Amino acid sequence: MEAPPVTMMPVTGGTINMMEYLLQGSVLDHSLESLIHRLRGLCDNMEPETFLDHEMVFLLKGQQASPFVLRARRSMDRAGAPWHLRYLGQPEMGDKNRHALVRNCVDIATSENLTDFLMEMGFRMDHEFVAKGHLFRKGIMKIMVYKVFRILVPGNTDSTEALSLSYLVELSVVAPAGQDVVSDDMKNFAEQLKPLVHLEKIDPKRLM
Amino acid sequence: MSGVRAVRISIESACEKQVHEVGLDGTETYLPPLSMSQNLARLAQRIDFSQGSGSEEEEAAGTEGDAQDWPGAGSSADQDDEEGVVKFQPSLWPWDSVRNNLRSALTEMCVLYDVLSIVRDKKFMTLDPVSQDALPPKQNPQTLQLISKKKSLAGAAQILLKGAERLTKSVTENQENKLQRDFNSELLRLRQHWKLRKVGDKILGDLSYRSAGSLFPHHGTFEVIKNTDLDLDKKIPEDYCPLDVQIPSDLEGSAYIKVSIQKQAPDIGDLGTVNLFKRPLPKSKPGSPHWQTKLEAAQNVLLCKEIFAQLSREAVQIKSQIPHIVVKNQIISQPFPNLQLSISLCHSSNDKKSQKSTTEKQCPEDHLYVLEHNLHLLIREFHKQTLSSIMMPHPASAPFGHKRMRLSGPQAFDKNEINSLQSSEGLLEKIIKQAKHIFLRSRAAATIDSLASRIEDPQIQAHWSNINDVYESSVKVLITSQGYEQICKSIQLQLNIGVEQIRVVHRDGRVITLSYQEQELQDFLLSQFVMDLKVAARLWFSFLVTNVKTFQKVMFYKITNGVIFVDHSKKFSGIKWKVETLFIKWSCLCLHLALVYYDFFQMFPKEVSRNFDLKCLQINYKYKEEITSKGVLFLKTIIRKCLFSTLKLFTL
Repeated sequence: MEAPPVTMMPVTGGTINMMEYLLQGSVLDHSLESLIHRLRGLCDNMEPETFLDHEMVFLLKGQQASPFVLRARRSMDRAGAPWHLRYLGQPEMGDKNRHALVRNCVDIATSENLTDFLMEMGFRMDHEFVAKGHLFRKGIMKIMVYKVFRILVPGNTDSTEALSLSYLVELSVVAPAGQDVVSDDMKNFAEQLKPLVHLEKIDPKRLM
Repeated sequence: MSGVRAVRISIESACEKQVHEVGLDGTETYLPPLSMSQNLARLAQRIDFSQGSGSEEEEAAGTEGDAQDWPGAGSSADQDDEEGVVKFQPSLWPWDSVRNNLRSALTEMCVLYDVLSIVRDKKFMTLDPVSQDALPPKQNPQTLQLISKKKSLAGAAQILLKGAERLTKSVTENQENKLQRDFNSELLRLRQHWKLRKVGDKILGDLSYRSAGSLFPHHGTFEVIKNTDLDLDKKIPEDYCPLDVQIPSDLEGSAYIKVSIQKQAPDIGDLGTVNLFKRPLPKSKPGSPHWQTKLEAAQNVLLCKEIFAQLSREAVQIKSQIPHIVVKNQIISQPFPNLQLSISLCHSSNDKKSQKSTTEKQCPEDHLYVLEHNLHLLIREFHKQTLSSIMMPHPASAPFGHKRMRLSGPQAFDKNEINSLQSSEGLLEKIIKQAKHIFLRSRAAATIDSLASRIEDPQIQAHWSNINDVYESSVKVLITSQGYEQICKSIQLQLNIGVEQIRVVHRDGRVITLSYQEQELQDFLLSQFVMDLKVAARLWFSFLVTNVKTFQKVMFYKITNGVIFVDHSKKFSGIKWKVETLFIKWSCLCLHLALVYYDFFQMFPKEVSRNFDLKCLQINYKYKEEITSKGVLFLKTIIRKCLFSTLKLFTL
């Protein structure tokens, strides 16, 4: 029996199989301030944190129809921070009661020559973008409010233009597999943001 | 009309001519009738020019008199006044009066015209209206307006006053009847202190430290309920509050962490039964409502639980030389041999049953409040660390974690480097170190105090520094002799009391490390006492003995600085005072030394043998309990030895 295609096997990043629980929503630009205010009140008491990241998505086209996707992300405003390589599996089609999108997740911190390495391995860059926004945390939940910028000249992160007049809001938790109580906590938190932004489970396959 | 003869009527004007004169023969001479012009003149004369001005001249000229009559009449009136001036002039022109009147009218008109033209220029004459009093008919509309305004203003003022009165009434009502606050205002007050959220139709709150960085899995939610068991007929009780909080059942009551150091219990089977004493609840602020105290107490219980959970987890996981024992709600460890540190979580619920059962055997002095406070501080430090910005991921998609830990992969840290990153000391280790230090410090203080109370000469002084570290304290010890403080400055010791050892820094630069044993410190300090004596003794060389008086059994030696009175003593009866034969100074010195040593070492009857390095005075002695003749021998040997050594010193 030939080896099963790479994309169908669950990719494990070590000993523990980590899953990412995700809820997404969006707000228009003019509502950003009120959303930030509300998040500052609800989330842990810290100084507000902003980020500016550059993400590149690499594909490895194998014999199968669906290519293998890896995401390489680097921080543009913090020098010395390692690059971050991420693999996100297919969303688990579980019961409808699960409130958040659950998918397998592998996170690796790498050095700066990641892109060369991936190129050597055979990956090709599919697209890239710049994300700029705010970062909050509440316990183990991470809330990101950011704007996606399209890079006009490939490789040059200075020439960017905003993709839309809105901000993307993501509520995510990385936890070991099997802890469904996490999704209940996420739902409760999302309820508190209700009138400002509606966070819900968005299946990426349906958007294609 | 027929039949009637027309009668001829002849009409004649009765123009009978005026008779001018009747002649003697009866003939009448008639005046000729007036001609047309004469008639006109006569009529013109009848115009009264002054009638328009309202003069009251009679129309005397209205008579059909002659034109001559007029001037004649006028002149006849003034005839008396103007004699011969005006003569009757019948031949006056009949239009004369008219002409005169017209001329006066013209004059008047000219004058008026002149005046008006001058006034028009406004240079030399102006017209001013004459101020007149307000005419009565014009005053009526103004007063009417005033009165109507007053009335309307009064009406508006009335409405405003009514409203203000209502407001003041409600404010005073609020202040008087605080008990009748409603649920919403109380909820607002609650919201100012605690995080609340509405879930369905319930109001839940969060009293855990999770938003402050804690990772304890307790949910810490409390529920806010409306207090509706109010009987309106009865009197409202003093502490009535329309709002009530329901805290989780395991957080009820009050709790604290008890840290105590005891001598090791000989029987280890007694564990698990911690003697609690019901510590009185911390006084809440006088104005705070009852839900505030309830919630604060529950939060404190939660924090104590977290501290104890963290400590017990570390006690089980971390390997140490002497394993820690965790039993029920107590953690026991051994910082020093023969010493036991016990940390226990004392959680007392508010039931009346348990209040009766707590017998206060354990004395509260055993409890180290400082360490309990430090435990609270340490756990809060730990909380703050999870919230610090070094834990936030950059790039944003990375997981939470310490910044340097994420670098350990790309930069290939080895195990040692990773271990150095993680804080190696947990809560338990830190507390044990602090407890060790506190114990060592208190014991050092006790040693110094006991020495000070037992030994009168020389004296020991200890100056403790106020500002210390959790792991280190320092004290400066001075050993002086009375009367020689200025000179005996050489014995100054700086003791740095650490966690497990005491480091002594001598004035001359020597550094000695003592272990935690109590005896070592005592011995060392005693040796320092002797050093001081040596220094004091050396000074004797410089003192001159002025005279020596010897009485029968009492002797005293007078020296420059004072008198040393040597009392009669049985002990020294056996010694022969060979004062005259020996060098006086030396023997005095030796004697004094001997006396002091004797007194000094008398305090330590149990010491068997001591070796003191005194550099110039080497004394090996054996001190025994019987102090009769053997004491004399001892003194003899001492004196001999002193003599030899002082000789040496003197020559040097």
